[in-house]
Amino acid sequence: MAQASTNEIRPGFKVEIEGQPYAVVGNEFVKPGKGQAFNRIRIKHLITGRVVEKTYKSGEKLELADVQETEMRLLYTEQDGAVFMCDDTFEQHTMSFDQIGDNAKWLKEDILYSMVFYNGQPVTVEPPTFMELKVTETDPGVRGDTASGRVLKPAKLETGAQIQIPIFIDQEEVIKVDTRTAEYVSRV
Amino acid sequence: MLAASKVDILKDRAAILRRSREFFHQRSILEVDTPLLSPLASVDEHIDLISLEPEQGHTSYLVSSPEYAMKRLLAEGIGDCYQLSHVFRKGESGANHRPEFTLTEWYRLAVSFDAMIRETLDYMELFVGKKPVEEITYLEAFQKYLQIDLRQESYETLKKRVDERLVENINDCLELLVSQEIEPRFRPECFTVLTHYPATQAALANTLRLDNYEVALRFEIYHGGLELCNGYDELIDAAEQKRRLEEANRQRISRGKEPLPIDTDFLEALEKGVPACCGVAVGFDRLMMLRHQSEEIGKILPY
Repeated sequence: MAQASTNEIRPGFKVEIEGQPYAVVGNEFVKPGKGQAFNRIRIKHLITGRVVEKTYKSGEKLELADVQETEMRLLYTEQDGAVFMCDDTFEQHTMSFDQIGDNAKWLKEDILYSMVFYNGQPVTVEPPTFMELKVTETDPGVRGDTASGRVLKPAKLETGAQIQIPIFIDQEEVIKVDTRTAEYVSRV
Repeated sequence: MLAASKVDILKDRAAILRRSREFFHQRSILEVDTPLLSPLASVDEHIDLISLEPEQGHTSYLVSSPEYAMKRLLAEGIGDCYQLSHVFRKGESGANHRPEFTLTEWYRLAVSFDAMIRETLDYMELFVGKKPVEEITYLEAFQKYLQIDLRQESYETLKKRVDERLVENINDCLELLVSQEIEPRFRPECFTVLTHYPATQAALANTLRLDNYEVALRFEIYHGGLELCNGYDELIDAAEQKRRLEEANRQRISRGKEPLPIDTDFLEALEKGVPACCGVAVGFDRLMMLRHQSEEIGKILPY
């Protein structure tokens, strides 16, 4: 397997530690004037997202993880998972809802998702930052609500995501949503 | 806009260089300018040198500090002297490190260890103004921050406090504890003077027995957790110096590093007689980082 020394490792590198894939988010060189040199490497687990810090002797080598990032289009969802396809190779991959986790609420057919593959298997799926989605369930806005300062109301979107929208948006309208924060951006 | 602020920082650097020279001139300390390129090496267990071939078949080294050259001048009778010197250390690159950086280094004859610490703090004030100062010995620091009595603990028990994979001997262990557990707890916005290192980390300092512990008359000053200088009551015993350099080379070999040619000119100077003195090397660029509240050394350098 390919390796990289602590002095080559930069944020963005993907490394494998104790059989787990991590993305490097920081690499700090630490050396007392007269003492041994170390690198404090901050890494983020590619699946759980947990960030940890590990110390290595400078010059030590780390295993690089076999990680690929590609864009794939959602073909359809099934009972317990979703099937994606690569536009270029027509290669298809199924991911279970367990693996997709929280992002399952942003799955919509025919949208391109960025997916991370570790050792050839999909491990994470990220929706586009902004998505245009139809409001499928919400109560009509009540006039008096603005006066009391309540300008938002709960809504359910076509993908199943539950978010807060302004009271002037009606059911069946299409809105733009920021998927990072699950917040309403604008009317489409 | 970025370019303008860089120019401002460089103009300020020029002002600080001028004030540094003024500081030493007022104290009758002579400026010296020793060669950066030396056919003989300074031997440190953990400092790697950049080697060059200025003439076919002849290796020279860029100095990691002007220390040996300045001590040779002390043996010649030059008296109190200072140098603003670029120095070079291979493989040191990071937010607080550059393989090339500037040291302010000076030597004072017949001055006490304490007086040397005071003068170093005075110099640092040029950059960052007056700050509260806390002084603590190495022994006290381990007691205070880690509840460890270094006189009692064995290597085996100390090793359990760190990632064992990272350490090969007791010094590795102590240095790791200092950098991971002690430095980060030094008071922010305050100078901490760490003194009386274990004798095993004496480098070029004199040693003595204090509180039942073999210590080196060595100090470092930190601002928060940032290391700024390294000073000694200087070792002037040629035989002991030779022994330490050979030991440093043995340690280098055991770590798979190349041994370095011992500077026989430096040892000859010690044999001839370097007067009793204290010396310190201050990280000029680190102080400029503090002065400009920069988290990155590159921001206060031209390039």
